[in-house]
Amino acid sequence: MKRSFAVVADSTADLPDAWGDRYDIQVIPLKVMFGEESFRDGVDMNNEQFFARLATATKLPTTSAPSPGDFAELYTRLAKDHDGCISIHIARSLSATAEAARVGAQSVEGFQVEVVDSETVSMPMAFLCRAAAECSTLVEAVAAVRKRIPNSRVLALLDTLRYVEMGGRVSRAQAMIGTMLDLKPLLLMIDGEIKSIDRVRTRSRAIPRMVEFFENDSPIDYVGVVHAQAADEAEQIANDLRRRLPGVEVPVGQIGCVLGTHVGPKALGLVYIKK
Amino acid sequence: MSEIKTPGVDGPLFKRALLGSLSWLSANHEEVNRLNVFPVPDGDTGTNMLLTLQSAVEDIKESDAAEVSKIAKLASHGSLMGARGNSGVILSQIFRGFARTVEGKSSLSPAELAKAFEEAANAAYRAVNKPTEGTILTVAREAGRSASAAASSPGATVPSVIAAAAAGARAAVLKTPSQLQILRDAGVVDAGGFGLQIILEGMLKTVEESESSLAALAASRPVALPAASQVAVDLPEGGWGYCTEFLIEGTNLDLDRIKNQIEALGNSVLVVGEPELVKVHVHTDDPTRVITLAGGHGKLLKLNVGDMSTQHRRILEGASQAAGAPRSNGVGVVAVVAGNGLVEIFRGLGVDAIVEGGQTMNPSTQDMLTAIESVPYEEVVLLPNNKNVILAAKQVLGLTKKYVHVIETHSVPQGVAAVVAFRGDRSGAENIAAMKAEAERVQTIEVTHAVRDTRSNGLKVKKGDVIGLINDKLEFAGTDYGEVVNKALSKLGADSYELVTVYRGEGASDDELQKLESDIRSTHPGLEIEVQQGGQQHYPFILSVE
Repeated sequence: MKRSFAVVADSTADLPDAWGDRYDIQVIPLKVMFGEESFRDGVDMNNEQFFARLATATKLPTTSAPSPGDFAELYTRLAKDHDGCISIHIARSLSATAEAARVGAQSVEGFQVEVVDSETVSMPMAFLCRAAAECSTLVEAVAAVRKRIPNSRVLALLDTLRYVEMGGRVSRAQAMIGTMLDLKPLLLMIDGEIKSIDRVRTRSRAIPRMVEFFENDSPIDYVGVVHAQAADEAEQIANDLRRRLPGVEVPVGQIGCVLGTHVGPKALGLVYIKK
Repeated sequence: MSEIKTPGVDGPLFKRALLGSLSWLSANHEEVNRLNVFPVPDGDTGTNMLLTLQSAVEDIKESDAAEVSKIAKLASHGSLMGARGNSGVILSQIFRGFARTVEGKSSLSPAELAKAFEEAANAAYRAVNKPTEGTILTVAREAGRSASAAASSPGATVPSVIAAAAAGARAAVLKTPSQLQILRDAGVVDAGGFGLQIILEGMLKTVEESESSLAALAASRPVALPAASQVAVDLPEGGWGYCTEFLIEGTNLDLDRIKNQIEALGNSVLVVGEPELVKVHVHTDDPTRVITLAGGHGKLLKLNVGDMSTQHRRILEGASQAAGAPRSNGVGVVAVVAGNGLVEIFRGLGVDAIVEGGQTMNPSTQDMLTAIESVPYEEVVLLPNNKNVILAAKQVLGLTKKYVHVIETHSVPQGVAAVVAFRGDRSGAENIAAMKAEAERVQTIEVTHAVRDTRSNGLKVKKGDVIGLINDKLEFAGTDYGEVVNKALSKLGADSYELVTVYRGEGASDDELQKLESDIRSTHPGLEIEVQQGGQQHYPFILSVE
């Protein structure tokens, strides 16, 4: 049964490679700027290119939301063969994307757009999109997504606090990180807020902590692993989770350019939506 | 004073005897310090015992008590509060055992005195987890036995019993190398035992002198005991006060009232400010009382307590600002740390109060108690961060109403690992378990220079050699930092570790640091290296391996 409404995500959803086609999800890119140069996340610049450039950049890049015009353009195109749209975006506490979507939608007459603040970031948004895509009506989809938002979790291990601190999203105090030692914060995003749940000295100690936290937070509907240039570790975590949760799909996704700007290389995320 | 011929030990005599001990130990403590088993610049036993004894005497010097029991009790309390280092703690237990035995007595006969010496040694044995022969414990026991033997002979006097105790101690000290391999290897006698011998000798000198002077006085006129102030003792200049400073934040603070209250507790009082914020400065013998009193008026900020007798110890207001989120679990953390960089690191990790001290300046039980009382939590985790501080730290447990846990961290890396594992949203019990586990996981390498020639742990060490200790144990000696550190890393099996944190001490130059880094990198390329400015004395490098 072909559904009649469209599903839109933004590029911070870190959609697993195959999901765009499999679930027919449209992705609107945020933007990353190196100085004056602007790139559409995943369109003009892919992850490899981004982290290569980040490694040599003298100044950290900045990021911006799509413009309302970008959204209006997308919605206008979707209106041709859909009777509505659910547009699921990065938490308002982190980005102006959802606001741009709302404004953009107003300029497209006669097309119903349900803009949803996911209150999260990264692959949990992809899970929400999948839940929406599996519904047959827009009303059902909105209900299915809203029901799951309070249950979505992002457990992130940052290799350094530098990037997230530069971006102003998390302070050292919030992360329980002092100014002297190079501690690795373990952060949890929940209900649109970022909390610190632990701090450790080494990655090899941090990864079991993440898995342990996840185990204590079960059961789950969806789980996945995301990474920024840490594919081997991400695969290991995913394989571990597949052993623990037989029959559950555990996708591995790459953190895109925009999110990568704020979390930095070697970031790892264990992301899930609780039952 | 009709019994001048066979006087017992009453309060005034015991007080003079202790002041005599202090004076004699003060003159000889450097010699005790030199009896260092390990060639490392270690906690100085002589200094620790001297400071402990000073604290014992501090409490009695103002007392005119006639009863020996009262003086003994004051000495017991004072030594416990001032106990520093392992020998200091054991000394405080000796005083405690003595005080218990003489409880209720106004004066001791020679036999009772001998019994008190024996019981004092027994109490010290009981206070130690695993008593080791060839230490201060053995010396205390032999002194007691010898005193008892002398007391049972006819014509025994107080001086003859004390003389026997001192002689017994001296003989026992000489035997310590035959009881302990490490002493034999190092070619020294036990420092703590020697310290106790000096304390007994000081007592003997005083008692003998006062005996002759009393006899002389008795011959001429009615006896007048010398007042405390007439007894010559080398007291440190400026007394033993604490320079205590802080701000009180509150509403409608009454400056005059606060000033009156503080003035009753010390001198050099300064109370200035506004009804919302008051700065207080006072020299006091009882900073804890001052802090408690001031805490009743409002919130205390920028608390700084300096022990003016040593000018070393400061209790720094903690870094609750660095730790950010308010502590929901009601648990505070106090750490013993020395070195500017290390102090900053611990503050940055959210430690609430820091007691300055460590390897060569062991803080007293009182220092740690004051810090614990200054923390606005009822449950407090105390990190000694040095093996020589652990015993004194544990003495705090019986002295405060707060619920204190001592996590036995032996080194700075263990302390850092423990603090990193602390979380403000987790219960005390959960934190203790996690902090202990993390402290045990980390490996410590300490690098310093041998302070003299020695043999230790099968190693021949020359004065000035670079020596490397793994988890407190001397393992390697050489001429080069990189060489010694690489050997230590190989011994630990560096390949199974991930991160080496180098805490650079005061004595390490930039070149030495860079060379050490490149030496580690070339031999153990798989290890990540992080350098921190520790600023610790005596140890050019302390390394944490995890």
